[in-house]
Amino acid sequence: MNLRHVLLTFGKELREALRDRRTLAIMILLPLVVYPLLSLLAAQVALGREKNRDQRPSTVAFSGSGPARDVLETRLRANQTIFLLLPQGTPAEVESGKLDSLLEIGSSQAEKVTVLFDASRDESRIAEERLGDLFAKILPDGCAPSFALQNRNLAPQARLGGYLLSKALPLFVVLMILLGAFYPAIDVTAGERERGTLETILCAPIRRVDLMLGKVLAVATLAALTGLLNLASMAVTLLQILRLTSQALVLDVPWGHALASSLVILPASLLFASAFVALGATARTFKEAQTVMLPVYFLTVAPAMAGAIGDYRLAGIAAWVPGMNLTLLARDLLVGRASLSGTLAVLLATAVFSAVALMAAARVYASERLVIPARRDPKGAAIIGRSTSAGDAMTLFALAFLLLYFVFLPLEKRHFAAGLLAAEWMGLFGLVLLYSRMSGQQFAHVVGLVRPSGRALAGSALIGCSAWAAVAILSEWLMPVPKHILEELRKSILPPSGGRGPVMTLVLMAISPAVCEETLFRGPILRGLGTRLGPMAAIVATAALFGLFHLDIYRLIPATLLGILLGYLANQSRSIVPSMLAHFCNNAVLVTLARSGLDQRMEGLSHRTLTVVVLTSLALTGAGVALVRGSVTKPEL
Amino acid sequence: MPEPLAILDGVSKFFGDVVAVAHFSLAVNRGEIYGLLGPNGAGKTTALRMLAGLLAPTSGSARIAGRDAGSDWAKKQLGYLSGSTGLFGRLTPREILDYFGQIHGLGKSDIRKRLAWLSPSLALDSILDRRAEVLSTGERQRVSIARAVLHDPPLLILDEPTAGLDILASRFLRDFVRSERDRGKAVLFSTHYLAEAELLCDRVGFLHRGRLLCEGSPAEIRAQQGASTLEAAFLSLADAQEAGP
Repeated sequence: MNLRHVLLTFGKELREALRDRRTLAIMILLPLVVYPLLSLLAAQVALGREKNRDQRPSTVAFSGSGPARDVLETRLRANQTIFLLLPQGTPAEVESGKLDSLLEIGSSQAEKVTVLFDASRDESRIAEERLGDLFAKILPDGCAPSFALQNRNLAPQARLGGYLLSKALPLFVVLMILLGAFYPAIDVTAGERERGTLETILCAPIRRVDLMLGKVLAVATLAALTGLLNLASMAVTLLQILRLTSQALVLDVPWGHALASSLVILPASLLFASAFVALGATARTFKEAQTVMLPVYFLTVAPAMAGAIGDYRLAGIAAWVPGMNLTLLARDLLVGRASLSGTLAVLLATAVFSAVALMAAARVYASERLVIPARRDPKGAAIIGRSTSAGDAMTLFALAFLLLYFVFLPLEKRHFAAGLLAAEWMGLFGLVLLYSRMSGQQFAHVVGLVRPSGRALAGSALIGCSAWAAVAILSEWLMPVPKHILEELRKSILPPSGGRGPVMTLVLMAISPAVCEETLFRGPILRGLGTRLGPMAAIVATAALFGLFHLDIYRLIPATLLGILLGYLANQSRSIVPSMLAHFCNNAVLVTLARSGLDQRMEGLSHRTLTVVVLTSLALTGAGVALVRGSVTKPEL
Repeated sequence: MPEPLAILDGVSKFFGDVVAVAHFSLAVNRGEIYGLLGPNGAGKTTALRMLAGLLAPTSGSARIAGRDAGSDWAKKQLGYLSGSTGLFGRLTPREILDYFGQIHGLGKSDIRKRLAWLSPSLALDSILDRRAEVLSTGERQRVSIARAVLHDPPLLILDEPTAGLDILASRFLRDFVRSERDRGKAVLFSTHYLAEAELLCDRVGFLHRGRLLCEGSPAEIRAQQGASTLEAAFLSLADAQEAGP
């Protein structure tokens, strides 16, 4: 062995790899940003589930009578926050879900109490657990009760099998379909470019949408096959494992339900195939496609995981969240509780998202960018700035996230105000300042700091003062915020210890976020992503990053919605100042509402009043948008 | 006189601030091989891509048989071949030709007939059922030519088709192009090998930095510049442009 040659090759390979920004992005973004972010969001979902479970009382009832009933009833009535006691019930009501558990009192002399529950429902399992804990405390240690207590599961074996499968299988199948679509989608798009066959097909008389639909269907077929094979294999394997680990448990595979749950495979395959083909179409190489698609892969996994571990019902917004809706539908089909409306909503949502992704893919394929050499790609000219690249934007986001997560959040826990100020002015504003110095650009150019027109300022102020109501109410409708989270938010604005005046509160909660968050997000991140994605996609992507940056699943939607508006303002007005002003106004209004207690009074408003508030908010925001739209005087900065 | 089959009429193409082609016009007639010549980066590929409907001109117009070059109808009138038009490696030439034939609206029996006609002249028989990825460069180029002419288009656009080919494969391609011209096809051919153009083309146009320097038959251009070869004529023209007014 020639050690010198080994070391030379080692050095050369390492140098090449480290000069590839995408390799670095994967090295930094995935382990340091994506994983902590997903873990944090998953933990918040799990915590929310626990709190919901703790807060929900178990509905129980008795059947039969005897001395044991009196003893137990007294105990249950003494724990009214945990148990909701109904006078009478039947086993059928437990099976149908009307009751969580039924206490059946035996008629023999030595009284026997049987706790009837349905092991295929979480609520019933919790009720059984709570009853067990309660009854264990009836007598002191060493004393025997005057009645015999036993548990009996009412769920048929097949339904129990379905329930146990529903805990793991839906997520697993969705993940497998995602994976099944991932590489074929890259192969038919970026792979095609890399192999030099793209131009061959583009000069043929085939409509782009036909071309992309053909590709999507091919990828979807492969993904569906992956999902189907995994569903069948995992269903049998999981039940076999359960049988082996619990000899007492004799489970049946609910083949009918398992087959029904395969209904999700088709929409899931189409959705993921369309999304990945659309993303893959933007990439020039296989490697670039992986870099673009991996974060999306993980971002899709997050809602799917939330659906699997959270206490969500397949209704309302949950039926429209990609990934989550499919997991929930598969779960409901497995346990035989899928509703027609929920199923239709998921199918409709998936069809809409797939069609949008397909149209986006066709649009990408209709673009000249596909055949223009990278060095001549003029895309950068389409957005408001040119110097910051998409790679710079993502690197800045990653750095800001790392600083926030590992440095400033711990600091905020010790001293909220100091930590928050440091996070904003050092972690965001300072970061952009440093970036502009290091990249040799003027700070004003990096963030788009130019004087906007009076109309743009007026429109931004109007949007900032009005949009909060529509954003808040829409977010509440999409994902209701638990009370304890609202309380925590209020405490951060109005610390119980007091001592923070209105000016300091405004500096902390309105001025600093407006200046610093806009400097980073609507500055280099929006501009950088715009060079790759185009203005509209960059605005949405920046808003999504802005939402994620708040590190709170319940603030994800409002922050993202607000981010879209702010991004629109920055792009439309060609200046960062209007988005700063709107951000300031938005936060200042929220702070004022919280300080005056008006926000709590709003919680009790009727639907009619809320509708009026939303419509007024939308009308004013629309007027603001119209003002800003007419304010552009320069084509670009 | 019939209208030329392929026309670029005062086209310009900008990529951001970069001017790839400026105020460029050309016309290619049926039964003619037109050579678009120039060094790397002269704008040849951009000009041909505008005619093939892959790029839209920033200004001016690109037409094939009187219709917009970007239309599906126009694409059916042309066979396009360039260094970037690869083959689907995991398919066999027969499968590739079947796919493109059907996209061009040919029926299965039409494809079989055309393949039977093309196979001897392009020596395809022995390679039709092998995967494209295992074919040699010359074999792949023959399949690419078959793919480009399968639907018997009246216009052939060949962008540096001999780049990377050995001397025998290049001669084979030139012979095929001549035979197509003799069948009445219009051929637009780009190359930076000026000797090759001299052998093949009826008319040539010199493109340099996106602008047309001159146009005519090889003999006319040599005579105009007082040069013995096209290469010497081009260098003289390029030097004159570099010196500038």
